[in-house]
Amino acid sequence: MTKKYIGKRIKRLEDPRLLTGQALFVDDVEIHGMLHAAFLRSDYAHAQLVSIDVSTARERPGVVAVYTAEDMGDDWQPGPPLVSPPHTVEDVVFHSRTQVPLVKDKVRQAGEPIAVVIAESRYIAEDAIEDILVELEPLDAVVDLEAALEPDSALVHDDLDSNLASHFQQGKGDYEAVRESADLVLERRIVIDRGAAGAMENRGLVAHWDQRSQHLTVWDTTQSPIPIRNGIAARLGLSEHQVRVIAPFVGGGFGPKIMMHYPEEMVIPWASVKLGRPIKWIEDRRENFYAMTQERGQVHEVEMSLSSDGRILGIRDIFLHDTGAYNPYGLTLPLNTQSHVMGVYDVQNFFSEVKVVFTNKPIVTPVRGAGRPQGIFIVERLLDIAAKKLGIHPVDIRKKNLIPPDAFPYEHNIIDQAFAPLIFDSGNYLPVLERAAEMIGYDHFVQEEQPRLKAEGKHVGIGIVCFVETTGVGPYEGGRVTIENDGKVSVATGVGTQGQGHFTSFAQIVAEQVGVKVEDVRIVTGDTSEFHWGTGTFASRGAVVAANAINASAGIVREKILKLASELLETPEEELEIEDGVVRVADIPKQSMTLAELAQLANPLRGAVEPGTEPGLEATAYFGPRYGAAAMGAHAMIIEVDPETMMVDIQRYVVVEDCGTVLNPLILDGQIHGGISLGIGNAYYEKLVYDENGQLLNASLADYLIPGATEIPRIEIDHKETRSPLNPLGSKGAGEAGAIPVPALFAQAVENALGDDELEILEMPMSPNRLFELRYRKEKPA
Amino acid sequence: MKIEGEFIFNGTREQVWELVRDPEVLATALPGTQKLELVGENEYEGTMNVRIGPVAGVFTGRISVANEVLPESFTMNVEGRGKPGFVEGTGDIHLIAQEDGTTLMQYDGDVQIGGRLAGVGQRLIDTVSKSMIRQGLEALNSALIARVSAQTTDQEVAYTPPSETEFAKAVAKDMVGEAIRSPNIVRIALIVIFILAILFVILMITRG
Repeated sequence: MTKKYIGKRIKRLEDPRLLTGQALFVDDVEIHGMLHAAFLRSDYAHAQLVSIDVSTARERPGVVAVYTAEDMGDDWQPGPPLVSPPHTVEDVVFHSRTQVPLVKDKVRQAGEPIAVVIAESRYIAEDAIEDILVELEPLDAVVDLEAALEPDSALVHDDLDSNLASHFQQGKGDYEAVRESADLVLERRIVIDRGAAGAMENRGLVAHWDQRSQHLTVWDTTQSPIPIRNGIAARLGLSEHQVRVIAPFVGGGFGPKIMMHYPEEMVIPWASVKLGRPIKWIEDRRENFYAMTQERGQVHEVEMSLSSDGRILGIRDIFLHDTGAYNPYGLTLPLNTQSHVMGVYDVQNFFSEVKVVFTNKPIVTPVRGAGRPQGIFIVERLLDIAAKKLGIHPVDIRKKNLIPPDAFPYEHNIIDQAFAPLIFDSGNYLPVLERAAEMIGYDHFVQEEQPRLKAEGKHVGIGIVCFVETTGVGPYEGGRVTIENDGKVSVATGVGTQGQGHFTSFAQIVAEQVGVKVEDVRIVTGDTSEFHWGTGTFASRGAVVAANAINASAGIVREKILKLASELLETPEEELEIEDGVVRVADIPKQSMTLAELAQLANPLRGAVEPGTEPGLEATAYFGPRYGAAAMGAHAMIIEVDPETMMVDIQRYVVVEDCGTVLNPLILDGQIHGGISLGIGNAYYEKLVYDENGQLLNASLADYLIPGATEIPRIEIDHKETRSPLNPLGSKGAGEAGAIPVPALFAQAVENALGDDELEILEMPMSPNRLFELRYRKEKPA
Repeated sequence: MKIEGEFIFNGTREQVWELVRDPEVLATALPGTQKLELVGENEYEGTMNVRIGPVAGVFTGRISVANEVLPESFTMNVEGRGKPGFVEGTGDIHLIAQEDGTTLMQYDGDVQIGGRLAGVGQRLIDTVSKSMIRQGLEALNSALIARVSAQTTDQEVAYTPPSETEFAKAVAKDMVGEAIRSPNIVRIALIVIFILAILFVILMITRG
């Protein structure tokens, strides 16, 4: 059956509201009598809290309350661990230490909140923050990952013997054995530093406890309203039905807005209940640099063994992973890195050992890419070096190692981020790589363009890399589809929305199933009173898990429509068709009923029904995949580098993506564009710089560079569709895809442009200065 | 952050020593200093207004002096905290007698900064701190000249400590000096001046 809506390039239905300022964001929430909160945050990264005196702050006119950890009494409890340690990995060491609402004894990162002021306005609250006298005794800060594990290092958590948060290893085959017989063994040290998610909207919360109805409503910029609702209810001793969490429109999530139970998410609802007043807290940009989670601090000692014809015999990767001051997110990130360090290639021998390290820096949780860019950077970089050493074409060495199409489902025999066996469900990788090479004109460029440009004195280079992305992980999501009395359709799902186009792509699925126009489908996301089962928007899972749940419920509603219409029109179901909100007999179009009529008849207000009848044309269904669907793609670029200033100009950027069934190519392309923008930031602009005391040195958008339109090239995209066998829609995720391969691609293309065979870019993020130092072999300044 | 430099005082080591250990003179030499008091042996406490780019506020601090070798050298420990963050540092100061009767001061220190000062003021702090030190030392030297003159000739040489505004102006000038080296800034400045000129002309025409 040809699809009418799925796969069509339909413009986003939500955009008119967003673009004209009509959409609700958390800061738009105004409630009569609302108070405002501001937090006192530590300037030190590591310090003992000696004393705190809030008496002057409490006396300031307009201040309603000032709370410290002590004032919270027994309600002061660390946040819940989000992801429990894996039980399927042998001999895993895992010390769970989660963030606290307010500092009680010791500050473990700069920006950690020590006290909160609740006042009639934010101005008063911020002024009162300065009235607080706090005595902090500075301690040596734990910043460097390797130094953190030395026996003389200061301890982030005094009750542990060291700063080791976790330690585990996994592998397959026998790496040591293949290393012996290898023709080429590459050993490299690869360092990936931290960056920020840099969402356009910072975090924010409004909590409103209604004393009379004994009900708490919380508007929160979260990607996961349902787990936040459950956590708030549990902390406050309320029933989950007494708490409603609404994640309205959110201006970008990118990971750090997942169900963190941030200190503010613990403190603001608590204070609202305590005071019986609505309270608003909106994070400002400077706070965001300290108070929101970050990602990508890893140091790898990696080895790849190859045969002389370029076949990868095995990979060994021993690495340190920075988890920051606490580790609420378990082992998701290092496991994701391990799952991607073999890339899209058939690697039979693998060994990886990771030590997760506590440091006096902000907590590390997934940021778009989530451990994957590190893995892809390593495997692609080592293949680049191998290709040079062995004199093999960069495209050919990749082709040689791709997992072949008949090997799917490809079992990796290691454990993935869900602690389940890592399996790539489906794929056909070669055509994707070939198409990318063809689109960028790889051989033509190298043979004809590049020599000509070189003769003109220009440094223009080319790069091509592959990546895989494990997407659409469980456990499950749900959806409820209802045909309303006017024949329009209402849909609710538990995931939150931060710009992914859910209001359009989900509507396309429903419109396809129940036969209405896309614009007649109204979607509600992220409101626990509308749908209260599910986990959230992360791990590139919306178009896989939530979309398939909605597809399943829409399918059931379709059956209900046809059953009822069949009775009323006295026609077998097979002879009915639904289009534009009308059910009709296929051969006799005049014999028809509208969905509005059917919906009204399905909910009789008088008379009798058959016992067991369920009212309405409505269904709720859930979907949970057995394991994640693996999307794949290849990116290529042509870049010009100015060897004097190291400024770059990306002249062409090509993407070939295979994320299974494409629901809406326009939205998918947008996701890829966004991902690449972040990837370019990760590669050359966005680096959080910490000094040896754990002080962030570029905590403003003047110094922390997020690429603008001028840094982002025009992007040419093509799609291949290898349907996932794991879900009825055949979809795979693509939310993070764009970001994953960019650092690897950038490094390869820049090396190629500079034409310096000794130059190896083995760290990210780079910058013009750093590239200059590497190119001219200068040591990094202290 | 490393801070190091040299400065020549128009006076003997003993005179310089006496000068830099006088809290009242020190307070006038660093405008923005609201108070600086001797609170114990070799220990001073004070408050100071600081403005570094977007970061401004009052610092409360403590300065202590150690390792005194009169009149050759001493070590200064500085601790300051306030809304803009914190500053903690140690500096070694050496006074070297010159043949012409002047004194060469060499200073060498290591300063840690934190909070907003580090996170937001980072790229200005180097220029601003160098400028503040240079101007402070110049003001001290003016005070020294006034003092020495009073002692030797009985003739008062007027010493007017710089006001906070003058001081801020000079810091801003130093910062612009740094910025001018970037051609982009000059271009932007020219564009701004051009736009202002056009606005001025329009204003004149509409009024006249």
